[in-house]
Amino acid sequence: MSATTYDSRPKSFIDHLAAQMSWGKFIFAIVLFFFLTSVLFPFYWMVSSSFKTYAEIGGRHPVYIPSELRWDAYKELFGYWNFQRNILNSFLVSIPTALIAVVLSTMGAYASARLKFRGKNLILNSILIIYLFPGILLIIPLFAMLAKIGAAIGFEVQDNLGILVFTYLAQTLPVALYMLANYFRTIPEEIEQAALIDGCTRSQVIWKVTLPLSVPALVSVVIYTFMIAWNEFLYALVFLNDRDMFTMPIKINTIFNDPTPRPHVVMAASTIMTIPIIILFLAMERYLTEGLAAGGVKG
Amino acid sequence: MSSSPETIKKYQGRRWSSLQSQEARLAWRLLLPTALIVFSLVIFPAIFSIWISFHKVDLSNLNDVFHAPYVGLDNYKRVISDYAFKWQSWKNMGAYVTSIVYSFVSTILTIIIGLVAALLLNRPFRARGISRAIFLFPYVAPIVSVAFVWRWILDPRPSGVANDILMRLNFIDRPLGFLSTPGLALLLVIVFTGWRYFPFAMLMILARLQAIDRTLYEAADVDGASTWHKFWYITLPELRYVVGALFLLRLIWTFNKFDDIYLLTGGGFGTNVLPVLTYQFSFRLFNFGVGAAAAMLLLATLVIFLIIYVGVFMRYTEED
Repeated sequence: MSATTYDSRPKSFIDHLAAQMSWGKFIFAIVLFFFLTSVLFPFYWMVSSSFKTYAEIGGRHPVYIPSELRWDAYKELFGYWNFQRNILNSFLVSIPTALIAVVLSTMGAYASARLKFRGKNLILNSILIIYLFPGILLIIPLFAMLAKIGAAIGFEVQDNLGILVFTYLAQTLPVALYMLANYFRTIPEEIEQAALIDGCTRSQVIWKVTLPLSVPALVSVVIYTFMIAWNEFLYALVFLNDRDMFTMPIKINTIFNDPTPRPHVVMAASTIMTIPIIILFLAMERYLTEGLAAGGVKG
Repeated sequence: MSSSPETIKKYQGRRWSSLQSQEARLAWRLLLPTALIVFSLVIFPAIFSIWISFHKVDLSNLNDVFHAPYVGLDNYKRVISDYAFKWQSWKNMGAYVTSIVYSFVSTILTIIIGLVAALLLNRPFRARGISRAIFLFPYVAPIVSVAFVWRWILDPRPSGVANDILMRLNFIDRPLGFLSTPGLALLLVIVFTGWRYFPFAMLMILARLQAIDRTLYEAADVDGASTWHKFWYITLPELRYVVGALFLLRLIWTFNKFDDIYLLTGGGFGTNVLPVLTYQFSFRLFNFGVGAAAAMLLLATLVIFLIIYVGVFMRYTEED
């Protein structure tokens, strides 16, 4: 498509275009344009709507380009709706989930990739089956079971962010373990054996050889589990009742269902929730894309 | 005596086996936390769920759930005879048939869109890297955000952008309630699912496309094959396995999906599916036994489908 060494005679833009175009390229350009607009338009609409006023939102026609950046929605969000509390809750759930998941899944993945022991296949297969399990099926027994245990031991199941972290761990650990085990298998075993022969213990091998070589995989597992916990809706919906304990998704759902519709506030909250994820994704895209194809985020 | 070959062998054997058992012990120690969490929060609840589906469990006895009265198949009968569950007519399909229609159609749509996107990105062009990243946005963005943006775009008021555009183009004269019109709502939920999940299909197909042997195309060029013929006789057959795997995976995940439909329509207007129905039984009516029975029916359907898929299609591809 480059036209750098094209002749110097002045030509009209249309001629220039026609010289470059073929039917194949034309269709390609149209389809690409269609894809890009249908992917990007909802995101544009989300961000632009968050900068509109209530009048602009509820008028006779939609406002396609806000006349100026209005912060009304954000003011309402952080004033009336106390959204900063929900942002904090989301971090309080997502960060522990990501960190604990990466530690535990690294341990498990190393064991299943490198060590020989009986019952390994049984464990690995049962972990894979979870991948196919409907979350909705587990929530009923979990709810009943945890209510019972909570009553017996004396902790509150409802509005307990710690419980939420545990249920997210159960969802993310199998996938994280599976991905990391696959990655560990790509590290040549000879490197580890050399270290073992040099007198390192297993744990030294793990710390000094395997983990430093696996930093990209570890980073992507942290990000996946963070994203899963950040986006999770169903478990948070069932386990959280108090507005002050809501994570962002549940709070956005509440704002949306407010008797007076306030789409601009919903869009502002959605923007706040989406932007960090998109930035994280773009910054780490090279590491993440491969894992996404391997089913890193079950979606 | 002690250095006889047999003793050495024995000694080595013991040393070897102790090393091995040491390794096994380390492995179990490393796996223990994950195994514990997965067992107590996934495997045990899954089995417990079967138990609940045969017992009367509601809010009144939730704190004493292990002594809930046994009710046999009552919960299952209740689900199957429920108005929201069973097939009435084409206009009112009930959650069970809607689930199947929704999962099959949106899985196929997802794969088709993913295939087109993968073919686009398989050609070299200047903005390929950034385009691929942008194409992934719907998949990585939080479901709550994208679902509510779609609802806001499809807003039934005149300020909804879809209504405005369609009215300006004179396709419709009055604003439509897109997500509150039976039929149209299901269609749009399917379109939404295709829009949100095509990037996953795209990535898998793209990876396979880039692994296809170039010489196949070169040979076809020599034979004077058209682009269409190359696509039909080389590309598609090469994609067979990845599309088969994708279909299975996406179908299962779509069948289990709760968030998308709950957030878009709340399960109303002919879009109720089994996961949403299960939620309604359990956390709207607080009848956990009936909810568990609905979830078991969902799982049973999934298992039946898996058996058919593995039994018929896998054998078919093997013979091929």
